[in-house]
Amino acid sequence: MEIKEKIKAFIVENFLFGEAEGLGDETSFLEEGIIDSTGILEVVDYLEEEFSISVDDEELIPENLDSIKNLEAYITRKIQNAA
Amino acid sequence: MNENKIKLIHHFLENSASIYPDKVAFIHDDVRETYETMNFKANNLAAWLIEHGVEKGNRIVMLFENCLEYVISYYGILKAGAVAVPFNSELKPDSLRPLLEDIEADIIITSSRFERLLKATGLEPHSLKALIISRSKLNWSESSIHTVDFESIICDKDSNSPEHDIDTNDLASIIYTSGSTGTPKGVMLSHKNIVANTKSICEYLKLTEKDIQMVVLPFFYVMGKSLLNTHFHAGGTIVVNNKFAYPATVIQQMIDEKVTGFSGVPSTYAYLLHRSPFAARIGELTRLRYCSQAGGHMAKQVKKELRELLPQTVDIYIMYGATEASARLSYLEPARLIDKIDSIGKAIPGVVLNIVDQNGQNVEDGQTGELVGKGDNIMRGYWKDNELTSSVLDNNGYHTSDLCYRDTEGYFYLVGRKDDMMKVGGHKINPQEIEDALVETNLVVETAVVGIPDDLLTNRLVAIVVAKGESCTENKLLNALSHIIPKFKLPSQIIFVKFLPKKTSGKIDKIKCTDIVKL
Repeated sequence: MEIKEKIKAFIVENFLFGEAEGLGDETSFLEEGIIDSTGILEVVDYLEEEFSISVDDEELIPENLDSIKNLEAYITRKIQNAA
Repeated sequence: MNENKIKLIHHFLENSASIYPDKVAFIHDDVRETYETMNFKANNLAAWLIEHGVEKGNRIVMLFENCLEYVISYYGILKAGAVAVPFNSELKPDSLRPLLEDIEADIIITSSRFERLLKATGLEPHSLKALIISRSKLNWSESSIHTVDFESIICDKDSNSPEHDIDTNDLASIIYTSGSTGTPKGVMLSHKNIVANTKSICEYLKLTEKDIQMVVLPFFYVMGKSLLNTHFHAGGTIVVNNKFAYPATVIQQMIDEKVTGFSGVPSTYAYLLHRSPFAARIGELTRLRYCSQAGGHMAKQVKKELRELLPQTVDIYIMYGATEASARLSYLEPARLIDKIDSIGKAIPGVVLNIVDQNGQNVEDGQTGELVGKGDNIMRGYWKDNELTSSVLDNNGYHTSDLCYRDTEGYFYLVGRKDDMMKVGGHKINPQEIEDALVETNLVVETAVVGIPDDLLTNRLVAIVVAKGESCTENKLLNALSHIIPKFKLPSQIIFVKFLPKKTSGKIDKIKCTDIVKL
């Protein structure tokens, strides 16, 4: 599965109870109330395990984490930098 | 308006609007609103409400995340003599329905973000006069609910506060709190309650018009609300950031806006210290002059870490209170933080604290009893529940259900909740003591200790732990603990988790923690 699909599946399963409707690639998790602060930690935990990356404290910003599109770009960058 | 003439909550806004009309009172994302403009908008809302039949004592529900519309609605409702009922913005339909039934509101004011939720809740049974929506996105034409556009009501044209005969003892707000039992209770607060508490807090925090407060806590709880009211009373500025989930952005904004104050509940500080660049960037927060903490007991270790991290120019205020006390009952003056590190301090100005035994008699210094508070800030009672009200309010004041003792210098120390103490193998144990010990080992970020019924021990203790590092094991932790607490207080089981379940208030959800054990 591609990075984007994996992320989307994780969000839909854990935060939207299987209902993918309304979750666009650019939907802001925070604005739409999909994920709150505890939820972000769950997402970070998933990313670190699934993609073998380490998320630094300074990287906990919406530009990196607050939509599927942002997440995909962030993870891709992290994987490439690690390589 | 001089200090004595400020008797109603909306006077905070009106007074500051007359002294500092063009000062930016409120910042949120791109919004920078002045006192005068905000006051006009609140006046216009109040006028509309009165014109449309809202009477004194009518309840008006507010369902918003922290935003300008929330603040305008709050003060507008109060100016109209009605009762502001802010709802928890994270509630789902099943929890909203019983509250709506209980409160019998005439109007709900909300934003587009909550339209789907309200539709799913079903508003038809609640005989609403109107549903006022800010920037509505959904179509309500097929429902029987009368919807009104918020932006068409509030405009910033020059307007006076409605002439309305509001008494300081009139009900101003009802705030639902769940406490430890889980069933929400509506705490009734009068104008006098909130005004007295606000003035007292401004006094001990020494707030001035130069203060700029970063707000990450929700306004719908009394702690967040006290940040709003106190800074408006002082003529200061509120900076709202709803993205604490991404703490780096909050730190950046604190630097950009030259914030002077930050407030949090224990989990806010745990998060700030361990998962944000706060420590790395503390040198850039040059205008920060105080951090305050309330909303529950914060572990000694966290207080020490915070004190070590922050420059001495930043005061740390540990505070204690309850929704039933409008917000605050006591505070620990910053100078005594280290030598009285376990203390909740002394009563705030205007409040009297006593410790009583089961018969309501005051106890001696050093003796444990129930903490009782008296003052103008103590609630009128619980909405539609006289029985519950009389179980906590009597001539001694408000019974907090917190067990406490007082030292010879008059400083108060919490021992635990009356209902939290539990029997473990013949001993009476306070789980908070074990939680503190766990954090003291320096191996733990946050923890919750729960009691699970046990045939042999009555209860056995289970610690749910968020460890600091990968290398923490159960044995390592128990070994470290055994140097701090006696054997019979050691938990019989430790469960490691990545994060503790929290309520919207930021407080740890002990019921969900117990569920983790049962899995």
